[in-house]
Amino acid sequence: MLQVSNVTKNYGDTKALDSLSLSVNSGAVFGLLGVNGAGKTTLLSILNGLVKMDAGKIEIFGLDVIKDRAEINTISSIIPQHLAFYENLTVKENINFFASLQKASKETVTNAIEINSLEGLYAHKASTLSGGQKRRLNIAIGLLNSPKIIYFDEPTVGIDPRSRNEILDSIANYKKLGITVVYTSHYMNEIERICDEVAIIDKGKLVKQAKLDDLLSNRSSDKIMIETVYSQKLSALGLQLLDATTIETSQKELPELLHLLEQNSIFIKQIRYGSTNLEKYFLEVTA
Amino acid sequence: MLWAMIKKEFLLVGRDRHALIALFVMPAIFILVMSVALKEQFNQEDISFKIEIIDSDKSKESKKFIKKLLKSSAFTLDETEPELRITIPKEYYDLSKKNKKLETVVLGSIKGDLLEVFKAKLLKEVMDFKLKQMSKKIKKTDFQASKAMKKMSLEYEDLFSISYEKQEAIPSSTQQSVPSWIVFGMFFVIIPMSTIFINERKQNTLSRLTTMNVSIFKMTLAKTVPYLVINHIQVWVMLGVGVFIVPLFDTPALEITGSFAAIEVLSFGLSLSAIGLSVLIAVSATSAEQATTIGGISNILLGAIGGVMVPKFIMPESMQNLANISPMSWGLDGFLDIFLKSADVSMVSYSAGLLALFGLIALSVGMMILNYRISRGL
Repeated sequence: MLQVSNVTKNYGDTKALDSLSLSVNSGAVFGLLGVNGAGKTTLLSILNGLVKMDAGKIEIFGLDVIKDRAEINTISSIIPQHLAFYENLTVKENINFFASLQKASKETVTNAIEINSLEGLYAHKASTLSGGQKRRLNIAIGLLNSPKIIYFDEPTVGIDPRSRNEILDSIANYKKLGITVVYTSHYMNEIERICDEVAIIDKGKLVKQAKLDDLLSNRSSDKIMIETVYSQKLSALGLQLLDATTIETSQKELPELLHLLEQNSIFIKQIRYGSTNLEKYFLEVTA
Repeated sequence: MLWAMIKKEFLLVGRDRHALIALFVMPAIFILVMSVALKEQFNQEDISFKIEIIDSDKSKESKKFIKKLLKSSAFTLDETEPELRITIPKEYYDLSKKNKKLETVVLGSIKGDLLEVFKAKLLKEVMDFKLKQMSKKIKKTDFQASKAMKKMSLEYEDLFSISYEKQEAIPSSTQQSVPSWIVFGMFFVIIPMSTIFINERKQNTLSRLTTMNVSIFKMTLAKTVPYLVINHIQVWVMLGVGVFIVPLFDTPALEITGSFAAIEVLSFGLSLSAIGLSVLIAVSATSAEQATTIGGISNILLGAIGGVMVPKFIMPESMQNLANISPMSWGLDGFLDIFLKSADVSMVSYSAGLLALFGLIALSVGMMILNYRISRGL
């Protein structure tokens, strides 16, 4: 449903996108990864009609991204990294303003507010909200046109873990509603948690596009990765850690390790074959 | 869609206290301060000189002269802090004596032009008195001549008339201050407009609006309409200050002799011009600080050149010609025509048209820059 074919964009002598092609299936939660300057924001800008591409073709639900721009705008939405609303207006005034622009129905407005838990904050001035609440308002505004596809541009920057968790949960729920999500973030654990498929872009080119499971699993390997819920006890156990929550072990050591974790009340989130986590893989392919 | 955007703009400006102060309180204070401070410089008809009189003559005639002098509003007897001392010499009123002069000593600091006013007013009173004295003297010998002399008036309204063809009439301090600071205040829409605009641009709200099928034209129109209304309110509030508040400070009230429709037409042109310039600066600047600094400086320069700070009629001719490049000058001239020449719509249509044209050109260039910036994510 989202088909990007040979898209090129130059800013003067700088090649922001270099014949980039990728595709996203309908209803997927798609992670777009890349270092700063890799071309993620340029791609999102082109997808949202903010920047014109120099060459290539993009279709979103069969609509041409240039010719059918106005129609695409009614079915797509971008959640910008910046808080793109009015700090001096209340939550209600912001929602009403953006809803009026998009002729949103009452039901859509109510859904957007409920999904983002903004009911109790309706009368609050946006400037008085916490970082997480502001992010949720930013997202709620993006839902007011009942989009079929949403682009998230690093939506969890600068917020506390609880709010991040809530936002990631709500994004995971869009999948159930059949909404396609294109998600960019620097936090690899977020991508690992919510995305089905990822594309890694480097210097404007596609380095890899694959299902997340396929990318990270390596069943021929003896190595096993265990991702745990964060606990201070973990670092004291003397295990081989890939990061603060991920343990690398072998099949032979697995029963003993599981026992140790149980004894220390450390909860397991995920067990996976192979020695690679997304961050490690990303660093390898973009080195 | 447009109404929602206009309403949003009103809400944002309404909550910006600094902007409201800059738009309404600042020009009102300027009008009050400048009208009161400059009233004596502008309102020469109402000047009253504080004088001390030493009567060395002590005749019946000299006492009559002193009484007549003090009846005139041009002179006030003040023996504690007099600006001028007038001495009536002995036998001053004896017509047979020659070379008898009123002796005048300047005690305070009176500028040359005000001294000329004093001399003219004193001369009028002296001549008036002398004529009546001579008339009495010749009454016995020539009744007809005496009667004719008595009828002689030294009031300038009876002696000559003044009309304005090309030469500008001189405004009172209120007539000068009210339009000056209205014009200046209207251009201060740059402060709220640039703050809101640049925040919208920096936080990608304008980009977000673009993705919601809001065109650059609609964005600009939605900004123009509220500020047209705000400028309109400013004009009438400031006129109200001139008419009702200024007289409370013992300063002449503003008299609006021209048509209200002319004020409306001129205000519209002026507002469009102010909004156009503000949009142009707001979209060109990279930060709100930069926009308010550039906006503030350009306002002060346009005001200084355009006759807001220093009235055009006291500028040398070369500066008066230079003033014509400032849109503030076009607006100020229009208002002065309304207040001094009872101008109607046709008389201000040239100024208003010029202002509107300037505003539309600035708005168009502003929209092009905004489009360029959004398309490049700047």
